[in-house]
Amino acid sequence: MTDDEPLLKLEGITKHFGAIEALRGVNMTVSRGEVVALLGDNGAGKSTLVKIIAGSYPPSSGRLIFEGRERHFASPKEAKASGIETVYQDLSLCTNADVVANFFMGREITKRYFGIPVLQEREMENIVAEAMRKAGTKIPSLRVNVENLSGGQRQAIELNRFVHWGGKLVVLDEPFAALGVEQTRRGLEMIRRVAAGGIGVIVITHIMEQAFQVADRLVVLRQGAVAGDLRHDETTPEKVIDLITGGTLSGAGTDGDGGNPDPAHQGEKIRL
Amino acid sequence: MSPARRATIEFLLDNLVWLMLIVVLAVFSLTVPNYFQFGIFANIFEQSTFVGVMAIGLAIVIIAGNLDLSVESTAALSAMVTGMLFSSSGVGMGIAFEPAWLMPVVSLLIALAVGGIIGFINGFFVTRVGMSAFIVTLASFIWVRGLVVAISGGRSAQNLAPPIRIIGMEDILGVPLLAWISVGCFVIFAFVMAKTPFGRYITLVGGNQDATFRAGINSNRILWTSFVVAGVLAGLAGWLLAIRTSGATANLGVGMLFNAFAAVVIGGVSLKGGIGKLPGVYAGVLLLYSIHTAINLMGLPAHFTQMILGGLVLAAVLLDTFKLRLREKLL
Repeated sequence: MTDDEPLLKLEGITKHFGAIEALRGVNMTVSRGEVVALLGDNGAGKSTLVKIIAGSYPPSSGRLIFEGRERHFASPKEAKASGIETVYQDLSLCTNADVVANFFMGREITKRYFGIPVLQEREMENIVAEAMRKAGTKIPSLRVNVENLSGGQRQAIELNRFVHWGGKLVVLDEPFAALGVEQTRRGLEMIRRVAAGGIGVIVITHIMEQAFQVADRLVVLRQGAVAGDLRHDETTPEKVIDLITGGTLSGAGTDGDGGNPDPAHQGEKIRL
Repeated sequence: MSPARRATIEFLLDNLVWLMLIVVLAVFSLTVPNYFQFGIFANIFEQSTFVGVMAIGLAIVIIAGNLDLSVESTAALSAMVTGMLFSSSGVGMGIAFEPAWLMPVVSLLIALAVGGIIGFINGFFVTRVGMSAFIVTLASFIWVRGLVVAISGGRSAQNLAPPIRIIGMEDILGVPLLAWISVGCFVIFAFVMAKTPFGRYITLVGGNQDATFRAGINSNRILWTSFVVAGVLAGLAGWLLAIRTSGATANLGVGMLFNAFAAVVIGGVSLKGGIGKLPGVYAGVLLLYSIHTAINLMGLPAHFTQMILGGLVLAAVLLDTFKLRLREKLL
């Protein structure tokens, strides 16, 4: 595998739910160390695409190539094992458990006594405390159940979780929806820091300003297909909004793209 | 509020059922004649055994966010199978072999296997077919009881083989061995729930199954396992019942489901899933039988027991809601 090969490559990904076509042939790539913002209106297919990348369900057709190999993830467990971490919009926390249990969900530190795995709470708590301290997140007690924490604190736990566990590709679905101004700024910095470490990042967001602040490239989904794939320094928020809302015919597409709305060719044409 | 005070209130709220148990025992000891004596307490312990063991499995399934209505019938089936194989009168086949110590072991394994199979079937329909646990286990509640009647022809098995029955007659420190078995089960499963990944996953799946699935936990397998565990424990309860009654009748254990449910709810397990601890469930069982015993001692007609237990369940659920509110207010 060569370095110029993208980390993640999607080819003609489609997804049907009965008669509904959620995705109609999505092509996109993410390279190592690159932050790609995935934009689109409600119902454009962003969340569906995220779930396919995360292994929650398989595409109806198309190829998902990760690290040069075609993958068929049967479950999020497999995607995770390959190095894809996902932070979902509707938080993936168990509010009936404490911070430590959530942070380590599925990766608990255990020690075997007579063959029986026993949770090492003290050790896990120390690691969480360290991760929270590094990220500057203040939580009254790591032993308090998540249901007693604010939305911002919950999101911070999720973000710190992915920073800690790393992986090769991180998918963030509306990660800042519940965060305040200062926390969002810190979150954006965190994304840049993660990418600088050579990890590919896909960020889904509604907020144009955030996308331009953090992303190297912007991919716009519209009605289940890629409507534009642009470098952040070669476009403007106005053009992107046009793409999102379907104003492509007004010629506001990418430079030299001619505003071609045909999704099948879009990905290749604007390849960087 | 200071953290220390908050911790105290949390602790009290979490262990309210123990507090209730102590208060109830104190009140009964002072007001009910002959209540305060060792024999009575040992008896409460022993009576709690069968529902107690069953309630552990039920609580685990409920904490995982489901429901198992079949535990009572499953226990009856295990008891009937044990009774039919190893009893010498009635429908019993009177199987006996040497060495004698092997008989309780073999009969126990058969009883656990019977329970495990029912649990496995329940789990299959819930996790693989995607049916509602309420319907699946309600169906099992009915058909498994039907199977008990069918295999026994509605008759009973008596005179369980002495090498097995001896377990029901032994004492340790004046407390029946049967009671110790249920205490042992509670200790083991309380440990499993609190300290092992399996227990942790049960709680997490009960809280948010999507999140656990996304975190790479095989949540369906956890749920399925919870049904098997409930079945195996119901099987154990059935085996203990067969020992206690020296055989089995076709209607053995009728009504135990209600008691187990009451104990689980009183013990602080929320039917929403994800909330509850097994020591609390044990306190719930003990509380239930403390009241039973008091009613018996006072010579009240048995149907009063049902009314009081019904009221107690209602009170427990009310308390649960109240606790939630209080917690929101205080924390």
